[in-house]
Amino acid sequence: MYGNISIVDQAIGKKNAQEDPEKLAAFQAKIDRGEKIEPHDWMPADYRRQLIRMIEQHAHSEIIGALPEGTWITRAPGFKRKMALMAKVQDEVGHAQLLYNAAETLGKPREEMINDLLTGKSKYSNVFNYPAKTWADTAVIAWLIDAAAIINQVTNSKGSYAPYCRALERICQEESFHLKYGYDNVVTLATGTPTQRAMVQEALNRWWRPIMHFFGPPDIASVHSEILTRWKVKMASNDDMRQQFFNQYVPKIWELGLTVPDPELRKDEVTGKWSYGDPDWDEFKRVINGDGPCNKERLAVRRMAEINGEWVRNALKKPTAKYTVPLS
Amino acid sequence: MNKQTIESLDPRISRAQLPTEVDHIPQYEVLDQFVTYEVFQQQKSGGHFIHVGSVHAPNEEIALLFAKEQYGRRGKSVGMWIAPTNAIVSIPEEDVDMFDATPEKKYREVGAYMVRNRVEQYKKDNRNE
Amino acid sequence: MNKEALKNLLYRMADDSLIIAHRNSEWTGLGPILEEDIAFSSIAQDKLGHALALYSLLHELGEADPDIIAFTRNEKQFFCAQLVEYPIGEYDFSLVRHFLFDTAEKIRYELLQQSSYEPLAKLAKKVSSEIKYHTFHAETWIKQLGSNGNEESKARIQSALNDVYPIAFSLFEKTSFEDAIVADGIFVGEETLQLRWVERVTSIVTASGLTLPSADYSVHYGGRNHYHTEYLQPLLDEMTVVFQIDPSAEW
Repeated sequence: MYGNISIVDQAIGKKNAQEDPEKLAAFQAKIDRGEKIEPHDWMPADYRRQLIRMIEQHAHSEIIGALPEGTWITRAPGFKRKMALMAKVQDEVGHAQLLYNAAETLGKPREEMINDLLTGKSKYSNVFNYPAKTWADTAVIAWLIDAAAIINQVTNSKGSYAPYCRALERICQEESFHLKYGYDNVVTLATGTPTQRAMVQEALNRWWRPIMHFFGPPDIASVHSEILTRWKVKMASNDDMRQQFFNQYVPKIWELGLTVPDPELRKDEVTGKWSYGDPDWDEFKRVINGDGPCNKERLAVRRMAEINGEWVRNALKKPTAKYTVPLS
Repeated sequence: MNKQTIESLDPRISRAQLPTEVDHIPQYEVLDQFVTYEVFQQQKSGGHFIHVGSVHAPNEEIALLFAKEQYGRRGKSVGMWIAPTNAIVSIPEEDVDMFDATPEKKYREVGAYMVRNRVEQYKKDNRNE
Repeated sequence: MNKEALKNLLYRMADDSLIIAHRNSEWTGLGPILEEDIAFSSIAQDKLGHALALYSLLHELGEADPDIIAFTRNEKQFFCAQLVEYPIGEYDFSLVRHFLFDTAEKIRYELLQQSSYEPLAKLAKKVSSEIKYHTFHAETWIKQLGSNGNEESKARIQSALNDVYPIAFSLFEKTSFEDAIVADGIFVGEETLQLRWVERVTSIVTASGLTLPSADYSVHYGGRNHYHTEYLQPLLDEMTVVFQIDPSAEW
């Protein structure tokens, strides 16, 4: 799973001016023809940097994203749920592996990315800084966060960088299992006992705002985002994706008789657009900058995992082994 | 002095008794990642082995161990290859235009051998005689 | 066929699988290397699948539904060996336990392919391919961290072996049904299993430059007869906490 993170890098337009204009034009023409860029193709330095940052953040989001649901891995009720939750959390780790590989093809080794995650230098999706308080939270996460992630990833899989697209295609296939599992889980709770129904409604209330934050604040037009769009790095605006989410999932929430904690949420039948209340973008910024309910814990846990695994890795290191950038 | 530990909603984490304040952030040496292996999966008997991704591992045995689960845990696999990434040789990017040098070579494609019309015409002509 | 004896064997195997699956799943998302995290999680999932299959056999013999059996009993009703109950510890402990446990599983299921109880023989054949990966995984790691590893890893694995090997004999504790199980051809018996297991474990450990400690077989007995470590009941409390909100509800 993944969410749009603030990928703003204002220097992007300036750097571009230093590129060889002929190569830059050929690069742009290739993208305009709908062709994909492979790791060894020429690419502008800014394109490379922006993609590394984006794919790396995505990879981090997967590995950190394993934690909120992992909270309930030892408590899943019944065989079916226990197995499915294990498989789902495992998939998130698998997605991180695929994405780190994709980012590595651009020249940043996995270790360097993990170092930057552990020091807090590089970010991951905000949504994983919130706690999964009850079992029902895992149901809501698996359904709606993964739904949002699929919208984001299907969109990005049409981007220009081939290794990222390939990784996303595979990830989306697996996420569709997550989505089904999550929906099944939510429906079971919503149509179950009064206690179960209350659990899932409360979880939905808790997660609604983080879900709104998931797609990021409405885009502000800039040179930066214009270039990224032209390069097919950014494939849709945050609001377009949020609208798609409303269209696909709000009716499904309502038909279960569940409510969304936003009295202003409604669809304009004429324009087809949804309007929604301010989800507190200040909170979004605060959480990105480290002040969310679980930021500290998430990083501490990841550091613990790395520290605990250090002796295994050290034992496997061979002085003769030489790291190579993955092929594609 | 007792250090404060993280009280997590995740019982696994609470058990680990992580200190709330970090005194050590692990940092890896860059290029610390073993060797890279490319993974090729065969999904059905008689099918092609298709490149599906890569794994980092210290040796072939572990690479296979990892590849099997990372790339073979879903759907059907009947075979898997791994090869060290640096053993793969590819046509350099600046030379891929070699593929463009032969745009019209119909003689080696099926489309160049559509003679059915001719046969039909022949049959028609001969009937008329 | 002695049905009670058969059920006793099935309960022991099923509870072992459930509890080891639960323990190993605690590593999911927290493992030492991404790829290894994935591999170890798959093994835990397989074990949970085996537990479900075994509880389903029990269900066919008149026992409760698998979810009810797994999620509503207390420790005094469990048949698992003490080996599987211990907390996961560090990765060396979990790996060595996995190695010792799965080596026994592999031999047990091989022997069970000849079981006189047809459904069990069928299940034994079915799970053999998964267990093959489990032992491949376990043996590879023991070798890599043993003779192919460094000083630290060798010392860690050796120390874990010293701790876990004696506990592993809890797997072969007999119950009062042992004679009936053997007489009815349900299973050749724990003694045969233990002999083959010691042989196999010894050969791998030796080949990995490690040694086995001496072990007093019976010290960790008890689990098969419902005497468990202090770790089992808290594990069950945690595992069942959501299910117990309403055991009659569908989750």
